[in-house]
Amino acid sequence: MRQVLNIAYYESLHVFKDKIILLLILLVPALYTLLFGAVYFSAVLTDIPLAVVDLDRSGLSREVVAAFKNSPKFKVTGEISTYEGLQEGMKTGAVRAGVVIPENFEKKALLRRGTEVLTVYDASNLIWGYNTRKYALEVINHFSTGRTAAYLAGLGMTEREIKGVLDTVSCNLDVWYNPTYSYTTYLFLGLVMMIIHQICLLGVSLTVTREKDRNSWMQYIGAALPRWKIFLGKCLPYLVINFFNYVLLLWLSARLINVKAGGSMGLIVLLGLLYGVIITSAGFYFSARAPNSLQVTRYVMLLSVPLFIISGYTWPMTHIPGFVEGPARLLPYTWMAEAIRTVTVKNLGFGYVRGAILALSALSVLSVLLAVNFDRRRKPPRAGGPVINSGSGYPQEGP
Amino acid sequence: MTVVTVADAVIKVTDLVQKIGRKTVLNGLNFAVARGECFGIFGAGGSGKSTLLHILAGIDRFSSGSVEVFGYDAGKSESFKKHTGLVTQERSLFQDLNAGENLDYIAVLKNAPRENIPGLVRRFELEKILGEPAGTLEDGAYKRLSLACALLNAPDLLIVDELTQNIDLHSRQIILKELSAFLSGGGTCVWGFGEPALLERMTGIGWLEGGRLTVCPPGEAQSVWEENYARLPECGEEK
Amino acid sequence: MITQCLSIMRREIFYLWRDKGLRWILIAGPLLGILLFYSTYSRQVLKDIPTAVVDLDRSGSSREIIAQIKNSEDLEIVARPGNFDQLEELIKQGKIVVGVVIPENFAENVLLGRQARVEMILDGSNMVYATGATGALLKITRAAGARAGIKTLVARGVQPDQARNAYQAIVFREEPWFNPTLNYAFFLVVALALNVWQQCCTLAACMNIIGETGLNSWRQVKAAGISRFKLFFCKSLAHIALFMLTVLPVYVLAYAVFNFPLHCSFAVLLLFTLAFAVALHGVGTLASSISRNAVDATRFGMIIALPAFILSGYTWPLEAMPQFIRHAVKILPQTWFFQGFNFLTFKNPGWGFMSDYFLALLIIAVACYGTAALIFKVKEM
Repeated sequence: MRQVLNIAYYESLHVFKDKIILLLILLVPALYTLLFGAVYFSAVLTDIPLAVVDLDRSGLSREVVAAFKNSPKFKVTGEISTYEGLQEGMKTGAVRAGVVIPENFEKKALLRRGTEVLTVYDASNLIWGYNTRKYALEVINHFSTGRTAAYLAGLGMTEREIKGVLDTVSCNLDVWYNPTYSYTTYLFLGLVMMIIHQICLLGVSLTVTREKDRNSWMQYIGAALPRWKIFLGKCLPYLVINFFNYVLLLWLSARLINVKAGGSMGLIVLLGLLYGVIITSAGFYFSARAPNSLQVTRYVMLLSVPLFIISGYTWPMTHIPGFVEGPARLLPYTWMAEAIRTVTVKNLGFGYVRGAILALSALSVLSVLLAVNFDRRRKPPRAGGPVINSGSGYPQEGP
Repeated sequence: MTVVTVADAVIKVTDLVQKIGRKTVLNGLNFAVARGECFGIFGAGGSGKSTLLHILAGIDRFSSGSVEVFGYDAGKSESFKKHTGLVTQERSLFQDLNAGENLDYIAVLKNAPRENIPGLVRRFELEKILGEPAGTLEDGAYKRLSLACALLNAPDLLIVDELTQNIDLHSRQIILKELSAFLSGGGTCVWGFGEPALLERMTGIGWLEGGRLTVCPPGEAQSVWEENYARLPECGEEK
Repeated sequence: MITQCLSIMRREIFYLWRDKGLRWILIAGPLLGILLFYSTYSRQVLKDIPTAVVDLDRSGSSREIIAQIKNSEDLEIVARPGNFDQLEELIKQGKIVVGVVIPENFAENVLLGRQARVEMILDGSNMVYATGATGALLKITRAAGARAGIKTLVARGVQPDQARNAYQAIVFREEPWFNPTLNYAFFLVVALALNVWQQCCTLAACMNIIGETGLNSWRQVKAAGISRFKLFFCKSLAHIALFMLTVLPVYVLAYAVFNFPLHCSFAVLLLFTLAFAVALHGVGTLASSISRNAVDATRFGMIIALPAFILSGYTWPLEAMPQFIRHAVKILPQTWFFQGFNFLTFKNPGWGFMSDYFLALLIIAVACYGTAALIFKVKEM
């Protein structure tokens, strides 16, 4: 153990001497978290720019317009008053939604001749699209109920009677876990888990390649040193830093970004530890296999987008085909993102993350086994024409 | 080539082949090194000396053949590394650590007692450079430090690669003196070099050329060298 | 002059090709990206959200509601738990997203004019599900309320005609523009693939200066006395040409094979992409100029390229970001590119509008190359 701790000590020394890697693993995660936090801080879309094209200008049409004006979700822009103007405004993004009331709307409505109000919304960005659609439907439902009440009042019913009728069937929509439809609560912890994933991987994946770049890897493989000691000693500092980042980022999310984060502390810690072990071992494995720091950095950098998309964290797994889901299930991020949502956002207990914990445990064992069995003999380079940046070393300015 | 059989062999190499890319760098080597020998691998730059020495040290994979060190398979075993020390031709100490830290850390890696460090520092006259970064040391000091690091675990077998080329004379003296001390203490040494002046210091020579290794006594190697290569063609002389 | 330039470009292509990691990243990265994302979003629209119904009434009225859920394209009934607790459990396990509970004596209560509450539960933790499902539920709520209301009114002696009129208020028709089927694949697949593409290109661009000055062969260049401007200009040309070559298969797959909608002409899209490629290469070159080695250059470049998609406002809109971020992200070429890409491919708002985007990319390119050249000069001295 003394040897392991000594290796860990010197590995930390390496990290502390390389200013850029130090910034990368200590500062960048928090910076990214705060940056994304600022981006998603508003959490819900409000003041959606809405154009009203009122071609009727009647009492009824004004009622419709008022319904939209009164909604806090929409912000009616006064500049557009024609259908062509609406088309143009939607094209340039000046407005994201529109209401069009046709000519003779009131007359036809009173005579029960077919007429309709057109609501349009911009679906080129589906975050705009789906939210606007939902808001518009809320306004319409509210407006329709008002119309019904007015009609019944016209029939001579009292307010209490009207209320009785309207309440007969009340559909109560109860939104669990994220009642305000907060985009931040939905997305943020997934992003945080990806930040942790990438930063930890970027750090660890250099641990062996750095030695290869400078030839000192020979000192490790030339000594009679058990593989597990090299692995453990080199990974220990990263495990610690990673867990520190995990806690810090969760704390920042909950405190500064107002992400809904509750749940069992024990589970959060357990998940964080398992996640850290997998990523650290995977990073060590890549590092032991990669020819140099440049190549491993490149590959690791590119992982984030595909891993995030196929994890089912946004586009749900029920709608992802099996041949994508299969590989996604072998990735720690897929399990971790879902589990952290279950624990923190949904505030559910062990029973609901049992599967994820089992999967993450299995992945931990697997990744540690893979990493600890790294090759202690270097392979001679393969045949081929001239190559560059593929052996040990990469372009750097002289001292 | 005949297989040399030595009863008390520290290293035994049989039919060793190493291919790098399409090129066969070592093409069926057979030799053995006995305990207490100072065996020189003599060859020009690019003849495969470093390739061979890295295989003996158990850090490189090889294509075929068998290599035994202290009776262990150098392609698989780790146990023999407890008793070996390696100085590579290229710089392989920790660049971002200073000299003292290198000694300390490599002692850790080798699981060698730290008490060995002060003696080596004294013998190799490293006191003044202990605080300097290993990456910026001059070649002579760097080689002294490398050899000191290799000796940290008091090895029985020392594998060194081009130890004395292009270094200052003082460092060269120290290194040669310490190597003699190591050998007279019963140690075995395999030494890759390209300087003919060192031929006479060896107890046996493996002449590495064209992927083949010819084993001969130092005297014979010396005369081959003198007959064929010692006299340089004069300017303007036709072959 | 031209031959010298061509030789430099040829050598640069060789350089990138012989850097095996980079070779595969450039060739396979964007392609793998679009194929993977196309597969992931192969269902394209978010229909059939898993729904469970608890029918404690088993009456004609309750069946009407269930029929309505069945008819809704957005929802799909996947479970019929026997009671509320079971339904709750299914939501917690994430097996269903929407739960509808029709209470006992529902039909009877409606007839007697007593309150009858239909409970609808929605798991809001994934917004893709939640916003989609809410729309469907709001529509069902309105229709169910109307039907029950009419029944109540008739039961209370109101004329059926009048009762219907009370609920027939006004018809609203909804029209999603630019992406009428609310297709997620149209919205995201190409953009995500382009995100991977711009990351791959950044990796290459980051080698522009340090990949040259960090090698011993830089001494040859110095000794040869060739103008630095010419050298890096030609190198950059080769890089940008390669970037365009690698984006081409993505576009061809997207618009010719997968038949995603494209509202502008292919040429305009390529031209806009070219403008971005130049700006992006400028950023990479800048990162390359300030770095001591290739790994640092890669890190600096990627620290910008990785979050750029999120910051570009392509998904979470710029309008919803705080003021200072909305302005700050405008220095990133990715913001202009992804915004402009959305406008071009979905809306095609015309030259007058798009010229700003071209101009912005141009300014960023000039600023980055200029700064990189300055830094290079200072370092050489």
